[in-house]
Amino acid sequence: MRHKLIFFTMIAVLLGHTFAMAKVDLVILPKRDTAQLTIYNSADLTLVREKRSLTLKKGLNRLQFSWANTLIDPTSLDMLPRMHGDKIDILDLAFPPRVRNLGLWHVQSQISGNVPVEITYLTSGLSWRAFYMGTLSKDEKTMRLKGYVRVTNRSGENYENAQVRLIVGKINLIDQIADLARRQYPYGRPVPPPKIPRPEVSDRIAGMAEAKVRFMEAEKVMMAKPKEIRKEGLSEYFLYTIEGTETIPHGWSKRLPSFTADEIPVVNLYKYEKERFGDQVLRFLSFSNDKDHHLGDTPIPGGIMKVYRNVGETAQLSYEGQSRFKYIPVDEDVELNLGSVANVIVKPRLMNYKTDRYLFDNKGNISGWDEICEFEIEVKNTREIPIKAEVRRNFKTSYWEIKKTGEFGDYEKVDLDTVKFTLSLNAHETKTFRYILTTHHGRRAN
Amino acid sequence: MKEKICIYIMFSVAVTFLILVAPVQARIKLVALPERATTIIRLDNPQATMIEEERVLTLQKDLNKVDFSWKGVSIDEDSIRLTVLTQQDKVTLLGVSYPPNEAALVWAIHSKDAFEVTVRISYLLSNIDRLITYKCVANKEETRINLKSFLVLRNFSGEDFENASVLLDDGQCFEQSISHEETKQLLFLNKKGVPIEKRWTFDARKLPWDPEKLETNVGIPVSYRIKNVENAGIGTFVLLDGKVRVFQEDGYKSTIFLGEDYTKLVPVGENMEIYIGDSRDIVVTQRKMQDERINVRRNRKNRIILYDTDELIKTTIENFKDKPAMLTVIQHIPGQWDMEECNMEYKRTDAYTLEFEIALLPHSKKKVTMHYHRRNVR
Repeated sequence: MRHKLIFFTMIAVLLGHTFAMAKVDLVILPKRDTAQLTIYNSADLTLVREKRSLTLKKGLNRLQFSWANTLIDPTSLDMLPRMHGDKIDILDLAFPPRVRNLGLWHVQSQISGNVPVEITYLTSGLSWRAFYMGTLSKDEKTMRLKGYVRVTNRSGENYENAQVRLIVGKINLIDQIADLARRQYPYGRPVPPPKIPRPEVSDRIAGMAEAKVRFMEAEKVMMAKPKEIRKEGLSEYFLYTIEGTETIPHGWSKRLPSFTADEIPVVNLYKYEKERFGDQVLRFLSFSNDKDHHLGDTPIPGGIMKVYRNVGETAQLSYEGQSRFKYIPVDEDVELNLGSVANVIVKPRLMNYKTDRYLFDNKGNISGWDEICEFEIEVKNTREIPIKAEVRRNFKTSYWEIKKTGEFGDYEKVDLDTVKFTLSLNAHETKTFRYILTTHHGRRAN
Repeated sequence: MKEKICIYIMFSVAVTFLILVAPVQARIKLVALPERATTIIRLDNPQATMIEEERVLTLQKDLNKVDFSWKGVSIDEDSIRLTVLTQQDKVTLLGVSYPPNEAALVWAIHSKDAFEVTVRISYLLSNIDRLITYKCVANKEETRINLKSFLVLRNFSGEDFENASVLLDDGQCFEQSISHEETKQLLFLNKKGVPIEKRWTFDARKLPWDPEKLETNVGIPVSYRIKNVENAGIGTFVLLDGKVRVFQEDGYKSTIFLGEDYTKLVPVGENMEIYIGDSRDIVVTQRKMQDERINVRRNRKNRIILYDTDELIKTTIENFKDKPAMLTVIQHIPGQWDMEECNMEYKRTDAYTLEFEIALLPHSKKKVTMHYHRRNVR
């Protein structure tokens, strides 16, 4: 079965003295001249813009548009003449009774001849995602970052030679486009409609083979050099426009390179925070999306990054781990969580515990006291390279004081019950520091 | 295939025959089946659609029984009204009766003579209504929009309407045919260059405080504000409630889709707020740095009965955009409170709500510090 958007014109024919709406099937079957796909990643949504050339007659024209086996939202259908706009009046768009996936435009034209029109609609089923490959230098001081996008078409429609644009951003949607596309009636009906089985957009083996041929043909004419991607901000979103056109048949995906940045300075940051990560050390790779890090032209869309490391002289790679990260605005810092490690050790030990300064009420019961805990924190770097370690401690009360001794590095109060120690360690270095935490309880806290 | 249900409204006039032999229980229908003269579909009430149809009845002298029955449609029986438009002084409506187990009613009409009268029958018909949708295309600078509004007629009433007059809220009327199970979308408002205001809002009660701890981005809601006022090119009529889809020109004779929202009915002079999406280029991190009890008062049993608090909230706002933005920050402090120190001006919108209007330059960072006391906390 062919899954094409069918679009044809029916012309009102004057028959003798009476008006008759003769349905002259396929008088004109205008081809899609160009297509533009604007694909969103925060929602299952693509804005399709097609240009077609219609042959209109003077008077009333009826234009039929059908979209069986696709995932088009009929409530988004719109048509605009690109020329003679003042002489062409789109009267209405009707969704006739007892016919599914069909719209009928009534167009009053003062001219006859070819008129280019633009048809836009929203469809579901096309998607894209970003993913990355990072390769660390042997000393782990720099990273080569390659970004890719993968565009997948499961919309039921084959888009040939379409301009592909990708939107990074979080839009507000009231209805899922796929749900609107599957409705029995485009705008629903005044009472809840009976449930109907969902039409599946299947992979259709025969169609896939045909699509493969088309895909291969399109591949042949592809340029030898990688395509450029134009990036620009629009409203709160980022628009990536891929150079030239792409052919993405239904069921297929395409990987496109998005950017490459070399020698990004990175910091190996090891974090310990018992309340968040448990009793383990997590490895983070940190850098910033800015000029100093050979980035910062555009935000980086969220995705998964696989991190490798160059080992040996023959450019062998070792896989370091992967991290899912969120959208990174320009100038924002990035911390890639590569998971827990055993080669950096943080050991907090309670070395001393005592209570003091008791208060008693009239009945002789305890009404207030202090607790004094002395902790020793040992941070051990067993790696061959220098690292940075961040140790966070939570106190579960806002009534506290702290005294620090030893190599505690940079100290910062994060919020009312959290502090942070940031230490730099050389290869195979161990640092130890102590702090005495006094917490106030009962009346001592008030 | 589902068979089309035969649906129609039957309308007949029956003249009562006096049959001398025996009283007859069955009603006699179909003496004349008058055609509809005009039909009006009134959509001015979004809760119910009223149909008004005019028909010409041929009345006999004395008592006439006018039979109105329907099949396959849902009519609110109690809403059916008959108004005599011509020869009113010679015609009297005597009563209305409902036959058992039938979707029908019978009007008893007394006529002083035999003649034709025009009557209007009004009733509420279910499953026919209208929706309103909007399509806005903003310019690249996001200062103005082209606002289009569409009327969507949905007819699932069971009745086909040929050349009916469709009447809208503002009295606007147009002729339209619409069949049963048909939906029609018609453009009814097209205003160009309507000014808009773009707004970003961080509400401390609705959004997470520390985005660093989250796996996903915290988006700052972005909305467009459209004033329904005359100098905006609108402002002469109510903007009805409906779904709004917003697009933006991209500078390449094309558009992108910005988002969609549902607007409430907007009376003249009021604002339409359309929440389009979230900004991830403005990051708000809010942390409580201090929260202590002070002025603690106890009862004789040494239980705390009253205290004040000493609270400090630090908010860091970063604009990673290359454009300026005006961010509204909404903070909530419950109960009785007073501000000891705040480094930015705010407006108290009610007893417990503070609103900051913070102008952010491109690629800039601002800090808000609120040091306040909640008083007499029990």
